[in-house]
Amino acid sequence: MVAQKTEKMPWVEKYRPKFTRDMAFPTAKVGKQKVDLIEDLKKFVVSFFKEKEKLNEANRQIKTHNRTHEEKEHQEEKKLPLDKAAVLLEGPPGIGKTTIAYALANDLNMEVIETNASDTRTKGALESKLRETTKSRGIMDFVVQSKKKLILIDEIDGLYGVTDRGAVPTILSLIETTQFPIIMCSNEYKQSLKSLYNKIKRYEVNSLPDEEVMKITRKIIVKEHISGISEKELELIIEKNKGDLRGVINDLQGISQGSLDKNTKELILNLNRDSTEEIFSLIKNLFQNVNTLREARDVTNKSDVNYNFLYKWINENLTSYIRLNSEIANAYENLSLADEIFGRIRKNQYWSLLPYFYDLFAGGVVLSRKHRTPDERFHRISFPRFTSTGFFSLSANERLVVEKIQKKYKISDIEVVQEFIPFLKLLSGTSRKQLKELSDWFEFDASEKKLLK
Amino acid sequence: MLSDSPIWRIKYLPKSLNEICGRNDVKERLKNFIDDRNFPHLLFVGSKGIGKTTAADLFSKEFLGKFYYANSKVVYANVPLTSEEMKQARSEAYVSTSKIGSIAGKKITTPALIRIKIKPFIQLKVLGDVPFKILIVKDFDSLGSNQQAFRRLMEIYGTNCRMVLITTKVSKIIDPIMSRCQVFFISQVDFHSFEELISTIAERETLRIDEETIRTLYKITAGKLSNAIDLLQICSISGNDIDVDKLYENLSNSKNDMIKSLLIMCFKGDFRKARELSRKIQSSYKFSSQEMFQIMLTELAKLPLSTYSRTTLINFIAEADFRAIDGRDTDIQISHLLAKICQFSEVL
Repeated sequence: MVAQKTEKMPWVEKYRPKFTRDMAFPTAKVGKQKVDLIEDLKKFVVSFFKEKEKLNEANRQIKTHNRTHEEKEHQEEKKLPLDKAAVLLEGPPGIGKTTIAYALANDLNMEVIETNASDTRTKGALESKLRETTKSRGIMDFVVQSKKKLILIDEIDGLYGVTDRGAVPTILSLIETTQFPIIMCSNEYKQSLKSLYNKIKRYEVNSLPDEEVMKITRKIIVKEHISGISEKELELIIEKNKGDLRGVINDLQGISQGSLDKNTKELILNLNRDSTEEIFSLIKNLFQNVNTLREARDVTNKSDVNYNFLYKWINENLTSYIRLNSEIANAYENLSLADEIFGRIRKNQYWSLLPYFYDLFAGGVVLSRKHRTPDERFHRISFPRFTSTGFFSLSANERLVVEKIQKKYKISDIEVVQEFIPFLKLLSGTSRKQLKELSDWFEFDASEKKLLK
Repeated sequence: MLSDSPIWRIKYLPKSLNEICGRNDVKERLKNFIDDRNFPHLLFVGSKGIGKTTAADLFSKEFLGKFYYANSKVVYANVPLTSEEMKQARSEAYVSTSKIGSIAGKKITTPALIRIKIKPFIQLKVLGDVPFKILIVKDFDSLGSNQQAFRRLMEIYGTNCRMVLITTKVSKIIDPIMSRCQVFFISQVDFHSFEELISTIAERETLRIDEETIRTLYKITAGKLSNAIDLLQICSISGNDIDVDKLYENLSNSKNDMIKSLLIMCFKGDFRKARELSRKIQSSYKFSSQEMFQIMLTELAKLPLSTYSRTTLINFIAEADFRAIDGRDTDIQISHLLAKICQFSEVL
């Protein structure tokens, strides 16, 4: 029965280390200082209980004092400093932040109370789930020594916006009054959680090195008796997951379990690979093989390339595949409309317009071509070289030149770039003497002189 | 130091109000202000490159005397904030929660430009023995609806700081601002003063130039002194004799010329080259797509085209400009227009 159960478990759960000693433990740093994460956390948990014990003792005395004295002589109850009651682990997904908390609890024979983004974390929900456990110790505590608890607030960066309004103050007050140590996990730095970050210790957990991931993956391969996965494929999986151990194990399970045909295997291998290589093959695929709208949709749906870039790539490479002016015009008609729609989506959050955007920039562009050139297989695909921000901005080097000019001649940035520098170029282009005189007067150095050429 | 400048337009920049070429009526009025030690908010109106800013700057310099550097500031309203300034604006976007009152923690709605560049200056006290500070705001019309913010600023801080607003278009200034300012129309230089100045420059630089050529120079530069002097300097490189032919030879309003050659390249039907050129223009002049379309529109009127094709092209430009309002990638929007013109040129 039990054996059957583990058989059906996702491998991620099955191979989740039970104790810290089994872990491929990641390195971490606080601020800029490297620390031993597990040792630090252990110290934190142990010292929390010690301090809390002392504090509770002191508070009990204060309480009895308050009960027997007048109100004006009341003493305030002491509180644990926030950074002694909670820590935050921050790092990319799948490197073992949650696992550390569980393994730590196992090491110290504790129980984990977890809340994560799947629970709605409004003020009320959070309180009802955690408040009781944090404030009091169960009735049974007086009879038997029950397990100590560790509170894990996972995916704390998923807590923002309207549904989670008021969650940060709740968490803060929770930390103030908690009876158990709190570990929080987060994927990235969130501006909205800044008030929280300032008050507690923040560990930046680094992603796992590829060799470490490889070691664990090989162990699993041996244990599961996996065959039919080549060394190269293994490397591919590890490379594309970029230190995300969970992702590697999931992919491994996906490939080796069940009867997969070759296509699906390839799909899993190629999924998520947001690399330039994939964009290359995607663009090639779009322009060379797509003949109907349906095929175009297929190509864009399957790929996981960020569409933010993708339509810029199409803009760059459109002219090498489409040659006739009338076809270029049609293609751009669709592409520019796609761009406009994308702008509106981003501006007003009209996400329902997204399907049009996809169809227009992929199918709309590719299918506006009726004639194909025979040599299209040999076209080189180029990067989107040109990025314009759409408003006036200067590079660091240009800014230096502009500031030097403005020191001598009061004139606005835009005038310098659009009127004055072209004139300087014209003037300095006539003779070397002129160039020297100019750059001497404005005190340009060699690299700034180049901008005048 | 300034007289050493190899660039004539800087070398011959007026150094006092008296040196300003022509426009005696304006100079008289400004001098009266200086004598009275008082003036209302001013609004300078005049076409581009005519000398509004120079006049305003010299005026504030003479008015403030030795306290000029501490008490005057020029703000360019059309230059967007740099990233550091934006960062600062974002960090100060909320009223501190440590303050007492109902506004604590509320978001500040004042536009960033005014918050970062203007308020700190006009709120500070006057330094030295002058009646008030002077703030010069250039290209005031480009503030758009943010002009509204100036209404109260001009009243509240009016005693502490007077403003000189500079604009090219009166029609874009909102009425409440107009009513708070004394309007100065800075006109074109009259030919007589223009001739005088050019002659003195010619004398100093040992150029030979006759009255006929000066008249042509006045005409083709529309009386804009800085442009005229630039042109003169370019001409002088190839010899000290300057005649009408030479002027036309060297006359290039490079900004507009680039756009014109872009249009012509499109008419030839080579889209790829046209796109290359458009990218070059965009990166060297830092145009926004709107500016590109504006110049295209003015250049279109100068090209020899039939009425039908001209209206069709205007239609294209309008459509492209309209899309670019919401579009995110200027290159795509401009390429769209170029592709359409290329296609149209084949139909013709």
